Amino acid sequence: MAASAGAPPVAALIPAISLRSRIYGFGSIYGKTLRDSRLAFIIAAGLLGGMALVMGAAIGQVFPTPASRLEIDKLIGSMPAAMVNLFGKPEKLGTLGGYMSWKYGALFALGTALWSILALSGTLAGEASKGSLDIVASAPFGKRRVALEKLAAHVTALGLAMAVLAAMTTISSNAFGDAAMGDQISPLSSIGFALWVGLIALCFGGLAFTLGPILGRSGSAGVAAAGMVLLWVASGLQSLGVLATFSPFHWTVNHVALAGEYDWPGLALVGLVAVLFLVIGVELFARRDLGVTAGLSMPGLPAPALGVHGSTSRAFGDQLPRALSWGIGMGIWGVLLASLVGTFAKQISQDSSLVGTFKTIFPSEDLTSAGGWLQLYAQLFLIAAGFAAATFVAKWASDETDGRLEMVLATPLARARWVITGAIAAILSVVVMTVLFAAGIAIGATAGGVSPGDAILGSAYLGLYAAAIVGIGVAVGGLWGTSIAAEIAAVVVLVTYLIDLLAPPLKLPDWFHQLALTAHLGQPMVGKWDATGIVACLAIAAVGILLGAVGIRRRDIA
Amino acid sequence: MPSVIRTEKLTKSYGSHRGIVEVDLEVQKGEVFGFLGPNGAGKTTTIRVLLDLIRPTSGKAYVFDIESSADPTAVHRRIGYLPGEFTLYDRLTGGQTLEYFGNLRGGVDRAYRARLIELFDLDPSRRFREYSKGNKQKVGLIAALQHRPELLILDEPTSGLDPLVQQTFFELLREAGAEGRTAFLSSHILSEVEKSCGRVAIIREGRIVQIGKVDALRDLAHHQVEMRFAGDPPAAEFANLPGVSDIAVEDHLLRLRVFGSITPVVQAAARAGIVDFLSREPSLEETFLAQYGRESVEVN
Repeated sequence: MAASAGAPPVAALIPAISLRSRIYGFGSIYGKTLRDSRLAFIIAAGLLGGMALVMGAAIGQVFPTPASRLEIDKLIGSMPAAMVNLFGKPEKLGTLGGYMSWKYGALFALGTALWSILALSGTLAGEASKGSLDIVASAPFGKRRVALEKLAAHVTALGLAMAVLAAMTTISSNAFGDAAMGDQISPLSSIGFALWVGLIALCFGGLAFTLGPILGRSGSAGVAAAGMVLLWVASGLQSLGVLATFSPFHWTVNHVALAGEYDWPGLALVGLVAVLFLVIGVELFARRDLGVTAGLSMPGLPAPALGVHGSTSRAFGDQLPRALSWGIGMGIWGVLLASLVGTFAKQISQDSSLVGTFKTIFPSEDLTSAGGWLQLYAQLFLIAAGFAAATFVAKWASDETDGRLEMVLATPLARARWVITGAIAAILSVVVMTVLFAAGIAIGATAGGVSPGDAILGSAYLGLYAAAIVGIGVAVGGLWGTSIAAEIAAVVVLVTYLIDLLAPPLKLPDWFHQLALTAHLGQPMVGKWDATGIVACLAIAAVGILLGAVGIRRRDIA
Repeated sequence: MPSVIRTEKLTKSYGSHRGIVEVDLEVQKGEVFGFLGPNGAGKTTTIRVLLDLIRPTSGKAYVFDIESSADPTAVHRRIGYLPGEFTLYDRLTGGQTLEYFGNLRGGVDRAYRARLIELFDLDPSRRFREYSKGNKQKVGLIAALQHRPELLILDEPTSGLDPLVQQTFFELLREAGAEGRTAFLSSHILSEVEKSCGRVAIIREGRIVQIGKVDALRDLAHHQVEMRFAGDPPAAEFANLPGVSDIAVEDHLLRLRVFGSITPVVQAAARAGIVDFLSREPSLEETFLAQYGRESVEVN
């Protein structure tokens, strides 16, 4: 039978967007994007503000007297420029602001930039690949406005996080600094520092945003992150030729706001480039086909490495690109550092007075060896290895969070076996990463003209720690749910780092410091192993996997 | 005849949210059984409990007389499953994906897999992420069918498939039935179940509202009729016609519902001199609501 459409219905009046909708972030793309980034904002602002606060406290505790400040000034003065400038320009190291800016300034900028890169590469490209952007873009306003609203949301979150950083920096210096030694940091200095951090972040985030419509989310984030590290290293080491002159770190090298030195034109240049990137990004998004990206032409894995033979090989095949990326990245880091510390260790060992100076400040380290210097960087290596492990956990978890697990478990593969084979694959990935890192150390040390000695075998401690983090993540994933497994693993890495970093200078109880797994790892880069740490890492990994295997038998599959 | 699927007062709650409530089902060996219901009725929840992907709050589910939560691996060994929504490995090609699932199960006849690939007209050399929605569905279907399982559990299997491929799928389903294998397929499309299944169960708001032969579905089918007259509608002339109910008059309009044949209504309308006549077959959801109202109905 025929059906009649009848008269077209009269369009209903669209009611005004309620205040509740606006507050909850459902009133606009801007509001929704801000709502979506609230967790990232809380983490970023909390970390930045918290670190400014605790670092002020820690520096005040470690260097409480003018003599100790003089000592650190002398030590840094005796180090080769290549090692010093990688951190930042050493200005007024005897003050809290100067030392904090030199030692941790780049860390603030790089960390915040990473947040910006992840946010701005994903805000459009990520949503496009998921398909939800098609629906958003079909709303009755142009693509330009979509891009601008999403951009404005990130800039708002970044601005608020920078305000928190500036406030906490000034509060920290007033609470823990010594006015007589020039520790007080003025609001202008704090704002100048936060502006520098924020604009550096926006510059690299803007690069990711620009490349997003062309390369897609992972491609743009990868290029922007690699560019950031390259330009930071190029500026710090004054190497890689003309490349250093393109570095925002180089343009602002004289802007040491926490030490009272400002270079506003340099900072304005960074801001200008950031705005330029963002404008180009908006235009590219508006002009290009939605979600059509060229991607990066990466060499594919050979078919046997993809692993279709069984569940372990498939899980490992899935992890392999990630393991290779982490391994190559850390390997390059290892080459760079080992070649530098190798040269430096060689220089020190030729000057007995230098050996004495360093011995007084680092009594437990042998800084005449490459391994001794690499041990000084142990905390950074451990953070990287821990986060790598968290990403391996995320990949394992994606079987369930992405919806593959239902089909996999409908085969005769038991739930516990899926957990165990996935965990084995994650640990094999840790092995791949660790071996590549150790190879990088060996190459770098050899290039620096020193023997890598114990450092090659010592690199295994990264693998042990990462395996323990995998165990924790798998346990959480099996017992409570894979959607939180990687996040919990990353939080454990962060908390461990903060405990190990802050417990000694803040004179916190020893039992509290011992909670950090990294406090039990000895000095493996110089051949001093701590059996307790090795056993603890292996036990956490094994028990974690076992708990995960038992736990998943008891819960529903998402 | 032995039952392949059996549930006893199967209930699943998600906290305070309703999943399924006291579902009783029995599917015999060799049956093609349809599981019908509107979106959110509890079809997928029932299937996931049968496969032990989620655990029942109360009640029991048996597949091949094995309690599904007691030995899920033994159940999985004998089934082929297609989820309602799924994603697979982006970097693997369709062929590699099928090979992987074949390896996980074992016992896949490569020639039969090749035949399925040909029947479904799938290009196995493309990466999974490059496939359209329909082609992804084909990969899932072949993965479920390739080992000739004793029981096929298919959640909305024709979703995204074009009519020609749907036809191929229904032929394969008939083939499975002819070989004595069992199929349990969920759907919210009445016509799909009508042409492929011998028996159906209808689920609404988590409860089974009817189980019976597919012919019984036709009894549910009805028409909503709207007639316009020049003067006052002669409602009394339609009131006693067979299958007519819910008569309503509004100005010159007469609305009514007709179960069964519509011919007597058309003839009566012609006699009464109508100006306009509209008839429409309501959606499944409307059919359910018309038949059962909003209250739960006991299992037949």
